[in-house]
Amino acid sequence: MFKRDQHTDNENVAVILDGETTNLPGNMSVAASLLSEGRIVAKISPASKKPCSPHCLMGVCYECLMEIDGVKQQACMVEIQEGMVINRRLGTMEED
Amino acid sequence: MSSYYDSAVIGAGPAGLAAASRMAELGLKVLVLDEQPRPGGQIYRNVENASPATLQLMGEDYRRGLDLIKRFNHSSAHYESNAMVWQTSSDGRICYSRNRKSREIKAGHIVVATGAMERPCPIPGWNLPGVMGAGAANNLAKEAGLTPSGRVVLAGSGPLLLLEASLLIEKGVEIAAILETTPKLPSPNTLVHLIPALRRTDFLAKGLKMVRTIKKSGILHHKAVTKLRAVGGDRLKRVEAVANGKTVAFEAELLLLHFGVIPSTHLFRLMGCTMEYNDRQRYWYPVCDSWGRTNHENVFATGDGSGVRGALAAEYKGELAALEIGHCCGIIPHYERDELASPIRAMLYSDNLPRPLVDEIYAPAAGAHFFEDETVLCRCENVTVGDVRKAVKEGVRNVNEVKIVTRCGMGPCQGRMCGPALAEIVAAEAKTEVEQVGLLTVRPPLKPIPLGEVAEMELELGSQEQADLFKNMRK
Ligand SMILES: Cc1cc2nc3c(=O)[nH]c(=O)nc-3n(C[C@H](O)[C@H](O)[C@H](O)COP(=O)(O)OP(=O)(O)OC[C@H]3O[C@@H](n4cnc5c(N)ncnc54)[C@H](O)[C@@H]3O)c2cc1C
Ligand code: FES
Repeated sequence: MFKRDQHTDNENVAVILDGETTNLPGNMSVAASLLSEGRIVAKISPASKKPCSPHCLMGVCYECLMEIDGVKQQACMVEIQEGMVINRRLGTMEED
Repeated sequence: MSSYYDSAVIGAGPAGLAAASRMAELGLKVLVLDEQPRPGGQIYRNVENASPATLQLMGEDYRRGLDLIKRFNHSSAHYESNAMVWQTSSDGRICYSRNRKSREIKAGHIVVATGAMERPCPIPGWNLPGVMGAGAANNLAKEAGLTPSGRVVLAGSGPLLLLEASLLIEKGVEIAAILETTPKLPSPNTLVHLIPALRRTDFLAKGLKMVRTIKKSGILHHKAVTKLRAVGGDRLKRVEAVANGKTVAFEAELLLLHFGVIPSTHLFRLMGCTMEYNDRQRYWYPVCDSWGRTNHENVFATGDGSGVRGALAAEYKGELAALEIGHCCGIIPHYERDELASPIRAMLYSDNLPRPLVDEIYAPAAGAHFFEDETVLCRCENVTVGDVRKAVKEGVRNVNEVKIVTRCGMGPCQGRMCGPALAEIVAAEAKTEVEQVGLLTVRPPLKPIPLGEVAEMELELGSQEQADLFKNMRK
């Protein structure tokens, strides 16, 4: 859905995403980093049980809420860091 | 770290940066809090780290942020990034969360510069993965250098929609269609606003360039579309609408929606600021005087949060609030305040000349008849438009009562995403005006924070604060 512009050279960081070590671009928010790799689903809505993706990217909509280092946080407001533990709890849903 | 400041500024966008720099330059002790990792607000997001290519693409309107931030960095204002303000009161107390610790500080004056957000407008499927705000795509470009990679549809109304379209065109993004809900012909009222706007040829030239870029690209561009909907299962597949009486459909991976910009008012509502409704632009804003002072003596509203007028006006309004606070703190006499304010007021006036024209052309449609019953209105609690209509039919007349009955607005976003449309729906259903159905009550914490964080908070102020004997003599 998104690609990184050629002139950006953000070094990758290694995080634990949903239990697996994953390399993601650094120097941006967790939400942006996941979107840049095509991982668009941020959470399963507890109310509708349907997948959600970040909508506002400015801390308003809460569609990007995920567990980051043990605390539920807005992924668009948190900078991705080496070693972060990120859990989206997507259950059996598959991402394409 | 000391916890008393002459003035605390919430928000480091153009308004907050200008206000803070000016107050610090006047010699005040200033604290700036912003929840973002870097200064700049929405428009100048990440401008300090922008690549030359991004600066080039976004142009002078973006680059201006560099000067503003440079001035701010040179000033003595103390800046805390990643600082989310979750409680404020008109006596000057502010609680904020930073690196998972909360702290309370006290300030003689509070300048609220929390800006604006895109107007959330519930169309069917707007909660599907793959549907985003046009401003969100703009943020991703600035913050992370991301460009949409699949087929994109842009839909809605407003100058920022066309700005985003022209930026994406220049980047070579594949755009399937631009679907504007704006009427084909502007209302006759527009004419009155045309004359003052003509005095700002620079502004009109910018607008025309944008329109020309879109025209030249040959991209399908419909106006006056209705029945906009996003279709898909687990993610967006297609965007549909009715244009010129016919249903049109476009396969797309990304739908960028934009329906104008409205003030972010949560902090004002939390502090009990008197709010007024702008019937033409259909949004609430805090009532304030020409310096930005709200009904609370020491609380100032500035920037787009006090009424949407764009980045330059935000900067000027920040300066004006700063001058008045400098005066109240006894640093400059009133004649110096007025003298310094005079050129700023002139710039504010000139900047605003084309605004009524733009506002009129893109004025949002009144009412809520076009919202469909099945559409999810409150994402957090999965409440539909139909659920709200049903509650109103059963006799509920105020948005806060609707909230209790339906849970609409009860989730973590505290009604930020559903509040404006909720009021429209309740008002339309009850056959009354939006002003009559109330505003959702806002409670601390403004954003959810772990309970433990509140429990561990340093409360250093308590009862030992000094009485302010001169408070009433400072006017
Ligand atoms: C998504 C988006 C994109 C935009 N893009 C453009 C554009 O490309 N070009 C253009 O001309 N205009 C754009 N605009 C309009 C432009 O943002 C405004 O005109 C201008 O930024 C207003 O400046 P401001 O200082 O009032 O507020 P803002 O620039 O919005 O700054 C407000 C700041 O307050 C902070 N804040 C808010 N609440 C809290 C809190 N509780 N605690 C701590 N900090 C908080 C925010 O993080 C933000 O940094 C955009 C608007 C939006 C919503
Ligand atoms: S994307 Fe809206 S809060 Fe993060």
